[in-house]
Amino acid sequence: MAKVEHILYGERKVYTVSAFNRGIGMHLGRLPTIWVEGEVTELRHNRAWANVFLTLKDPKTGATLAVTIARRIYDRLELGLDEGESVQVAGRAELFEQKAELAFRATTIERIGLGGHLLALEQLKRALAREGLFAADRKRRLPRVPRAVGILTGADAAARGDLVSTIAARFPATKVVLVETRVQGKGAAAAIVAALAGLAGHPEVDVIVLSRGGGSFEDLLPFSDEAVVRAVAASPVPVVSAVGHEQDTPLCDLAADVRAATPTAAATLVVPSLLETEAALTATRRRLELAVQAQLERTRSRLDRQRERLRSAPRLLLERRRASLDHAGARLQALSPLATLGRGYAIVRSGAEAVREAAVLKTGDTLDIQLASGSVDARVEEIRP
Amino acid sequence: MSADRSFEELQRELEEIVTRLERGDVPVDEAIGLFRRGEELYAACVERLQGAELRVEELTPEDPRT
Repeated sequence: MAKVEHILYGERKVYTVSAFNRGIGMHLGRLPTIWVEGEVTELRHNRAWANVFLTLKDPKTGATLAVTIARRIYDRLELGLDEGESVQVAGRAELFEQKAELAFRATTIERIGLGGHLLALEQLKRALAREGLFAADRKRRLPRVPRAVGILTGADAAARGDLVSTIAARFPATKVVLVETRVQGKGAAAAIVAALAGLAGHPEVDVIVLSRGGGSFEDLLPFSDEAVVRAVAASPVPVVSAVGHEQDTPLCDLAADVRAATPTAAATLVVPSLLETEAALTATRRRLELAVQAQLERTRSRLDRQRERLRSAPRLLLERRRASLDHAGARLQALSPLATLGRGYAIVRSGAEAVREAAVLKTGDTLDIQLASGSVDARVEEIRP
Repeated sequence: MSADRSFEELQRELEEIVTRLERGDVPVDEAIGLFRRGEELYAACVERLQGAELRVEELTPEDPRT
């Protein structure tokens, strides 16, 4: 914004009228958006004008405020306002700089008298909450990669465009099933319920997005209609609610599995990012390869060990045989009488029999005495039994 | 093999195969079979992702007033 210039006359700062008005206008422009309520007087609109003008009057004090609203917005609200009606107007202060005239630039108008609606809505909300329709444990996880995304939308091209283009950019391999339906006014609730059923009955639709741009409280009422809220809660397919703006909370938001603040946010919720999905797939394939390689490696080394054992088996067998043979030889050696003879003993035989007792012999018998080396013949001279 | 199954189902089966193989208690013949199956699933997943364009189908529900 242009800086507000002043002129210096010596020490005195002086502003031109335009500069002053612009400065005040800039100040006002910094004020926040607020709601103002009053009675409508002097409602002026004309097909040829870009704006609709009305005056708001405080019924108690008679204080007035000029209100301007873009005709495009006013027409879309379909309020059919009459002078004398009570309204709440959202907007911010604005200065018509040429004349330093203050006006209130409205972004939306709501008729007061919605009190009845609000009360009914609050009661419905409590009743449905008591039934458990909004309970956290009813919320379902959204599919990571839906076969098809069902989109329920009004004739609002912007919201639908945002949704579809974000889905296409994020995850092109998606199918979108679109239902355009009446979303406000008479018959909207029934139309929404029918459209929801159509989407849920589609064989490929794995998730449904309810999409509707911003609108007045009344415009959004069908999305708080009991039949719609129940249909959302009972949907066999998870539902993402992207209805109205951030500050709106139609009851279908509470019944839906997930609430999204904008159509773009809804798109981000219902499809994954292509890049992330591809990266995850590549990582999974790497694990697949590593796992099968590790398995083959284990099998191969077990095979190697088995072959080693197989090869060494005959040699082991021979060694074991030889060892047992050696052992048997040693034992045989130990039992041999020849070894005893080597230590100085002798075998005495009479005839073929070895002699164990002196009493079996008679004087004069012939003995055969075997030594470790050689043998001797001898005769018995005396017996001492 | 997988034309009528969702991408998510294919991806889940692939993940299950990898997890089984990683446990390392699968007989080797079966492991090789699983690996082949995993490769097929991976290829099917990639095929789904690549070259695909957003398809839009318009549904006209029956108007409940008629």
